[in-house]
Amino acid sequence: MTKPVTRRALLVGAAAGAVGLIGVDALRGKLSERVLSASQSLTIRTQRILLRRRPLVREFSPADISVVFPTNGTTRPVGDDYGRLAAGGFSDWVLRIDGLVATPLALSLAQLRRLEARTQITMHNCDEGWNAVAQWKGVPLGHLLKLAAPTMRANYVVFHCMDKREDGQHYYESIDLFDAFHPQTILAYEMNGRSLPVAYGAPLRLRVETQIGYKNAKYIGRIELVDQLDRFGKGRGGWWEDADGAVWYAGQ
Amino acid sequence: MTDGSAIAGTERVYRHPLAVRLWHWVTAATVVGLLFTGFNIFNIHPRLYWGEVGNAHTIPIIALESTETGGPRPTTRPAPAALRLGSHLWDVTGHLGVVADAGEDGLYFMIVATPDSWQFGAMRAWHFALAWMLFLTWACYSVYTLVGGRLRRTLLPSARQVTARAIVQDLWDHLRLRAPRGEAARHYNLLQKLSYLIVLFCLIPSIVLSGLTMSNAVTARFPELYALFGGRQSARTVHALCALALCMFALVHIVQLFVAGFINEVRSMITGQFEIPRESGK
Repeated sequence: MTKPVTRRALLVGAAAGAVGLIGVDALRGKLSERVLSASQSLTIRTQRILLRRRPLVREFSPADISVVFPTNGTTRPVGDDYGRLAAGGFSDWVLRIDGLVATPLALSLAQLRRLEARTQITMHNCDEGWNAVAQWKGVPLGHLLKLAAPTMRANYVVFHCMDKREDGQHYYESIDLFDAFHPQTILAYEMNGRSLPVAYGAPLRLRVETQIGYKNAKYIGRIELVDQLDRFGKGRGGWWEDADGAVWYAGQ
Repeated sequence: MTDGSAIAGTERVYRHPLAVRLWHWVTAATVVGLLFTGFNIFNIHPRLYWGEVGNAHTIPIIALESTETGGPRPTTRPAPAALRLGSHLWDVTGHLGVVADAGEDGLYFMIVATPDSWQFGAMRAWHFALAWMLFLTWACYSVYTLVGGRLRRTLLPSARQVTARAIVQDLWDHLRLRAPRGEAARHYNLLQKLSYLIVLFCLIPSIVLSGLTMSNAVTARFPELYALFGGRQSARTVHALCALALCMFALVHIVQLFVAGFINEVRSMITGQFEIPRESGK
């Protein structure tokens, strides 16, 4: 026979339950952060082993290029500054590369076009699940970084974009130097053989083919080399990471 | 459906070792989390394609679609929606399909509206964390069941179970929702063994591999994965269909608990102790 539940047992049980709930509540914020960061570091470590010989992602033939490539995120930055630059064919636009570099650079579109270029037909995979194929031409980021010569303290490349999001913050993204020096990581100024259209990030966008859609920052105005990401936005390394809890390392 | 603990003379056996019980409950919780986050990820682009490329401008094989002209982002509410299976369309307006306003990104067509606090990016982050959990615990369990000879003892059908007569009997018992009793209740029955084998060595590996085929970095190293599934969008579709199959398994698994004796079955997966139901008429 089971004993009837005594009042004392009930009170002890309720108290233990309350303490438990408070404990879980107090841990919840930090615990979930810890779980997600452990998961991300497991992913990045595993994928770094897979990518240690820098395999290339698949490239396609011109016949595979998508007739319609969906646009996503900002499709036309608001503001007079961008409008003026676009009206002038971005001839007044300058890409600055600074931060933890030995040689800060300021390059016009014409100067970028004269540098070493890579053309690749690749698949853009949006985190929503859709994808599309396009041809991109641009300067390998690794080549530009070699010209700027990052210092020993530089760990990350931050892309400051010209478009403002609905929260008033400029879009930004960041990758580490490993992905920055991948041969297919380029700063594209051409799409499908034409100057990069405004909806796709004119005048310059990132193509980081080992990662997923939102890492490929559009409307780049400035590239900054840094040691830590915590002083940008909410410190999570990108606009979607800050606003939506997206993973920073998006190789998956 | 009797819990015969009060009946004298019933036999209890130690059915599930601790490792099996732990794996069972961790996997159950992990799969619930994966289905929840996975459904939320699917929700934002409820279209499945075959081949390499699929987007709002290509034709899906399975999809929830807006029937409003102007494509996948309708402007009227309730969203005029149709469920597509190949070339068949069923009108589901008012039942499924909502228009979600994403500010600058325009309108999205989704299956259901989800609270704003359910961040899409965070859903993906949790999905990956849970995927690691599923994979690592599955790998541990597979090694345990293979190395210890447990696979042969408990999961592979015995010679007696694969005779024509035994197969027909097992099917007939399942159709009548009759659970094995007495001697036969000491082992998993044939369909039970097959369903566990399919989940363990077919569904979970398929869902892991099709998930990895959606990774840019993993496929850079192993492009063969694309060939295995017939393209990136095919892999995404296989991934979703495997998730559906896991849901069906979970449903049947729970129904079978009631058929075989809920308390006895659940207790055996918590404490390990399983009571052999006595032969009827004895």
